Amino acid sequence: MSGEHAAAAEDVQRSHLVALVGLPDMGPARLRLLLDGRDPVDAWEGLRRGRIPMALSSRLGRRREEVVARWTATVAGTVVAERWAEVAASGQSVSWYGAPGYPAALLDDPEPPVVLFATGGSVAEGAADRPRVAIVGTRRCTAYGRSVAVELGRSLAAAGVEVVSGLAIGIDAAAHLGALRATDGAPPIAVVGTGLDVVYPSANRDLWERVAEHGRILSEMPPGSGPTRWCFPARNRIVAGLADVLVVVESHAEGGSLHTVAAALDRDRPVLAVPGPIRSPASAGCNRLLAEGAAPACGPDDVLGVLSLLGRPASPVLSAGEAPEPADLGTDARRVLDALGWDPVVPDALAARTGLPPVALIAAVAELTDRGLVVETRGHLERRGEERS
Amino acid sequence: MLATIHAATLHGVSGHPVRVEVHVADGLPAFTVVGLPDASCREARDRVRAALESSGLPWPPRRITVNLAPTGVPKAGSVLDLPMAVGLLVACGELEPGQVDGLGFLGELGLDGSIRPVPGVLPLVDAVEVPGMVVPVANGAEAALIDDRRVRVADDLRGLVLALRGDGEWATPEVAEPSPVDGGGPDMGDVRGQRFARFALEVAAAGAHHLLLVGPPGAGKSMLARRLPGLLPDLAPDEALQATRVRSAAGEALPVDGLVRRPPWRAPHHGASPAALVGGGSGTMRPGEVSLAHGGVLFLDELGEFAPSALETLRQPLEDGTVRVSRAGASAEYPARVLLVAAMNPCPCGGSAAPGGCRCPSTVRARYVRRISGPLLDRFDLRIAVDRPDPVDLLSGASGESSADVGRRVASARGRAVARGVDANGALDPAALREAAPLSEAAVRRLEAELHAGRLSARGLHRVRSVALTVADLLGRDGPLDVDLVEVALGLRIDPFRSEVAGVR
Ligand SMILES: [Zn+2]
Repeated sequence: MSGEHAAAAEDVQRSHLVALVGLPDMGPARLRLLLDGRDPVDAWEGLRRGRIPMALSSRLGRRREEVVARWTATVAGTVVAERWAEVAASGQSVSWYGAPGYPAALLDDPEPPVVLFATGGSVAEGAADRPRVAIVGTRRCTAYGRSVAVELGRSLAAAGVEVVSGLAIGIDAAAHLGALRATDGAPPIAVVGTGLDVVYPSANRDLWERVAEHGRILSEMPPGSGPTRWCFPARNRIVAGLADVLVVVESHAEGGSLHTVAAALDRDRPVLAVPGPIRSPASAGCNRLLAEGAAPACGPDDVLGVLSLLGRPASPVLSAGEAPEPADLGTDARRVLDALGWDPVVPDALAARTGLPPVALIAAVAELTDRGLVVETRGHLERRGEERS
Repeated sequence: MLATIHAATLHGVSGHPVRVEVHVADGLPAFTVVGLPDASCREARDRVRAALESSGLPWPPRRITVNLAPTGVPKAGSVLDLPMAVGLLVACGELEPGQVDGLGFLGELGLDGSIRPVPGVLPLVDAVEVPGMVVPVANGAEAALIDDRRVRVADDLRGLVLALRGDGEWATPEVAEPSPVDGGGPDMGDVRGQRFARFALEVAAAGAHHLLLVGPPGAGKSMLARRLPGLLPDLAPDEALQATRVRSAAGEALPVDGLVRRPPWRAPHHGASPAALVGGGSGTMRPGEVSLAHGGVLFLDELGEFAPSALETLRQPLEDGTVRVSRAGASAEYPARVLLVAAMNPCPCGGSAAPGGCRCPSTVRARYVRRISGPLLDRFDLRIAVDRPDPVDLLSGASGESSADVGRRVASARGRAVARGVDANGALDPAALREAAPLSEAAVRRLEAELHAGRLSARGLHRVRSVALTVADLLGRDGPLDVDLVEVALGLRIDPFRSEVAGVR
């Protein structure tokens, strides 16, 4: 009896919360100040009368009147149950700070999301005791970074680690791709900056759907929210907050991944960085992190080692991801592969390193490309790890 | 009372004979020019009158009519100033008809009576069908290139009249300045490393395939492009004549021996207007850069900085090998068969095109590369990435072959194209190409894979095939094109703007 009452009350709270999140100009920080321990139903009814807490009032500053007037008008025109019905129909689940199923890792977060939407049945499904590792990096990655991210994602997922990332193109996508490749791996977690019904970037649609199917996608943004300038930095803090450890695979000198690093350090999460060639702009940020004291991540063992120091469950021993050892390559192809580091180069450089005439060089590169060992992007050639699908 | 003087007018790069008929009659003083003169040609009235008065020659206060025959042909520019003045002097009795017999006249008049040079003297003189020519002093050397013409020069109207009457000496022709050997250019032997890029230049020269070099500043793009004319064979006789006429029509200096024999090199700035690139203009019609490069190399550095409208005007000339310029009342056709070489940075920040090579948002790059339209990109059979050479690689890089050595291979490859009825393989149409270059089974499979993957269009396929044929010609190979040649052609045709995709592709 009382259980039923409690469930009904929870539904009412949930539906009001969804309505609050959907108000115009309602970002995570404002919502946090508006609720601040209050019942969502009370907050909603307060807005109907144009009342907001002092802290939010001073935060809004000069725009207070205008914003509150818009909220009041929207509240008057919104049927809470209808809005809830839309979300419920989309199959998303909703949780909020302190409610059952809210991720424990975010409870003591300095800026916890007030509400979380999730694909699948529950926001925090099975998340209780598995270790989580965030793998992040630049969108403009090299084949080296991509293959390292795939290998880390696969090995860690196989070791029972939930791989957390932002589902952006580049390193993020590669990490999730790797996690999905593990046999019986732990499900990946994606945290996105848009509503869960807005696939962004659209190039990642396939991957988005596979992560949703095998793992979970979380967002603090209500359905229908498109990408905005602030939603990705805001998303990064949730990635950092959810994870036990952060690994940066590739980052430019002032790349966006460094915001995630700052958020992780604020939350006392260990940060690891994958070393890269000193000439590669895409590794400049990582190499700087290493110089500043971040632990090097030269393979999944380094990450698992940090997790066990944190008292997370021990893991099966895995070898560091190594490039596949190709057999029966032609002589020229072997020479080219040996001359090719992990940084992308133009054919001129390979011609100089191997001494091969251009026609022979192209034949060798064609053989390597055909074998999936080399990839060409905008005329630049790189070695390829085992990410090939 | 009526005098007829032989002269010519310029259409595009060819001259058309004009008879300047001057009639002086009693009546109210007037000066009329009929027979399709353009604005500048009509203004001749004022220049002729001022020049006569400044030279102390009489200006008859009578009714003067100048007819430019044939009347259906438009007459352009100031080249008819001098023939009108001479005709007027004959018509009013200052000169005897016999004193101008067998002579043609060309030149612009200054208000002070000076005789000024005009563009296009070579084709103009060629068009006048009389044994002797009188031209401005500065045009004398160029006019003398037409073998069977006796050329006199004049530098002012007064002196000319005295010389014609036999009372004075003719002016002395200017000795042409010894200009540096045309089309010499720097040598390939100076290039260290960059062996692949040098190979792309060789293929471009051998097959007349347009080439796009993409790379950051300092990658040697201009340095490489500048060496392309040195790989090309001498111009064929008719081509040399056309190139010479274009240069003459543009009023630019000709080489010492008169004929443009080496492929020209033109490198217009990216601020160039459409008129500067393809010809025309608001004043006198003038050939553009694409015509001045006829038979040689047109180099567009910083392709991404050219106005899209300017690049768009180049598409038709690149397709047709000629350019037609129209302006109110007049049109001209100029030759425009060029080897196009362009260079551009992969990104406005000057970073590298390598994956991860710069951190500009993809939107910034997308906006930059959108300036190069797909159809324009399609014109480049060869597209390669170049980079700043690694110092270590540079030290070990073999130093280059000389332009002469590479040029010999280019010439022999072109010889094989000539046997197919074209100057170079780039000009083969699909039917001719199918006949000249059958594909091996493996090559067909390779190309089909590219087609199915959407990396190649039907047009692209044709171009890849013609590049593969050029490579076969350079290697001296016969028989069907095998898959290795197709690989080379594909390797020389990168997509320079492909964006990073998610890990999944
Ligand atoms: Zn850039």
